[in-house]
Amino acid sequence: MNNKKIVLFGNYTLLTLLGFLFALPFLYTLYTSFVMMEDVNKFTSFSNWTFDNYRMFFTNDAYNVPKWLVNTIVMTALVILGNLIINPMAAFALAKLDFAGKKWIYWIVVATMMVPYHMILIPVFVNVAQLGWLNSYASLTVPFLYQCLYIFMLRQFFVSVPEDFIEAARLDGLTKMGSFWRIVYPLAKSSLITMSILAFAGTWNSYLIPSTMVTDPAYYVLVVGLNSVKDLFFENTPLIMAGVVLSTLPILVFFFIFQRQYMEGVSSSGVKG
Amino acid sequence: MTIYQKTKKQSWLRSFADSDFGVGWLFSLPFLLLWVWWFFYPFLQSFIRSFQDANFAALDQAKFIGLQNYVTILNDREFYRAVLHSLEIVLIAVPLQTFIGLLMAILVNQKLKGKGMFRTIFFIPYITSQIAVTTVFMMLFKQGTFVTDFFSIFGFGDVTWFADTRYALLFVAILFIFQQCGFSMIVYLSGLQEVPKDLYEAGEIDGATKWGQFRFITVPFLKPITFFIVSVATILSFQIYDQIAAISRYGALGSPAGATNTVVTYFYQNGIRYMNIGYGSAAVVLFFFIIITITLLQKKLLDEKG
Repeated sequence: MNNKKIVLFGNYTLLTLLGFLFALPFLYTLYTSFVMMEDVNKFTSFSNWTFDNYRMFFTNDAYNVPKWLVNTIVMTALVILGNLIINPMAAFALAKLDFAGKKWIYWIVVATMMVPYHMILIPVFVNVAQLGWLNSYASLTVPFLYQCLYIFMLRQFFVSVPEDFIEAARLDGLTKMGSFWRIVYPLAKSSLITMSILAFAGTWNSYLIPSTMVTDPAYYVLVVGLNSVKDLFFENTPLIMAGVVLSTLPILVFFFIFQRQYMEGVSSSGVKG
Repeated sequence: MTIYQKTKKQSWLRSFADSDFGVGWLFSLPFLLLWVWWFFYPFLQSFIRSFQDANFAALDQAKFIGLQNYVTILNDREFYRAVLHSLEIVLIAVPLQTFIGLLMAILVNQKLKGKGMFRTIFFIPYITSQIAVTTVFMMLFKQGTFVTDFFSIFGFGDVTWFADTRYALLFVAILFIFQQCGFSMIVYLSGLQEVPKDLYEAGEIDGATKWGQFRFITVPFLKPITFFIVSVATILSFQIYDQIAAISRYGALGSPAGATNTVVTYFYQNGIRYMNIGYGSAAVVLFFFIIITITLLQKKLLDEKG
């Protein structure tokens, strides 16, 4: 019994220590974003807290944060929308239809999943530039309207949908195409939510693509903008921390709403987005 | 007559919408079109350009130069330095994040109060952007923070590691570990919950200690999961870009003084920044083969061990 208590105590100590270590950066960020410059790294009473950092982050003349926010929302929304239409269609074809060439398409999906994006970044950049798409929403969205990983994930789900559902729908007069939109697509709701969450985080947090395709600060997304604010105002810790809080807040809110699906989705797919 | 034609047309449409071939290809088409233009063509281009002397400013004057790009890269000392840096990050980050992730999973898998809260705490870094995390850590490791005070107890005068050529790589590795642990924890957790309970009971009857149970039941059972976690972490840590771009100010890559130049920054610097499309592509192709080699080696190593 005594031995058990020691183990329990040890577990709690380790857990608390690790938890403290991992929570500290976030607590520090949150705290610092609310204090004034002279109070950074000191404890100050609640009455000295201020929203000035947030106000300054939003309204500074040196950059246009509201525009960045709009850019980020437009980019993320378009990418999720595309993924919600294109991926399930392909996944359904691979899971439930039998047609010549299907094996090839499946092979394409699986092989593409394995290739790191770095591998095609330079030609994609050239492609985008030749289309005149640099510094535009198109460069941030069009190449990412589909994602082979999500097609693969959704296919796994569609395979598990009983054939009878589609047959019953056809007996009621629906075509195979109709049974997809009316029956199978709504059934896939939880898989589609998981996919959207992953796509949301992956797109919202992305830096490599937006920082490559966009050089005009008017078309920055929040993450790229935050990085440039950090460079410009490196000594102003509270301002930067306010920016960090604001640009990560949507992800965190989303996470707390869909926590369970989020974790399941991540552990089954193995990627952020 | 018109009515007849209309129904005929409808039935043609209908049979198309009900055929596997028609719907299959129609549904695959949006994906395939995007894929051909935004993946397959660029993928081929990466290989083709790697044999060319091609500059972004004058792509129409690109000319075939055989293996010249590869020869130049393989004679560039900077490239070997970059490969070493990449491997260093992998070697520091992968074992540590695997170990910490396993530790976290074991801790939050027990019947402890508040384990849900700890799970959330450990997982949150994984879903925040790399830029945000890097920014926070840079603010933390500036002079005069409690982190500095803490390290000064151990005689570290200066912990601005992101600006120190000796520690910048370690700093990047720490950032990666901080974010990746949560992922490994979640995956390990799903594995731990699948270990059959009677295995432990059998072990207890045979007189195995807690450590013995862990060593001879849990670890072997988690082996395929460990392989998955290690290979994901290896590939991801090899691809690190955001953190390195963020620790240097004003978008310079590899700072301080090239201490964080990796294979990724090497190709990015040459291919995108200097717009030397051919040379950058050759570097990317080498990067691709390094990743494939590492993955295959890991697989072979695991297969041999059983």
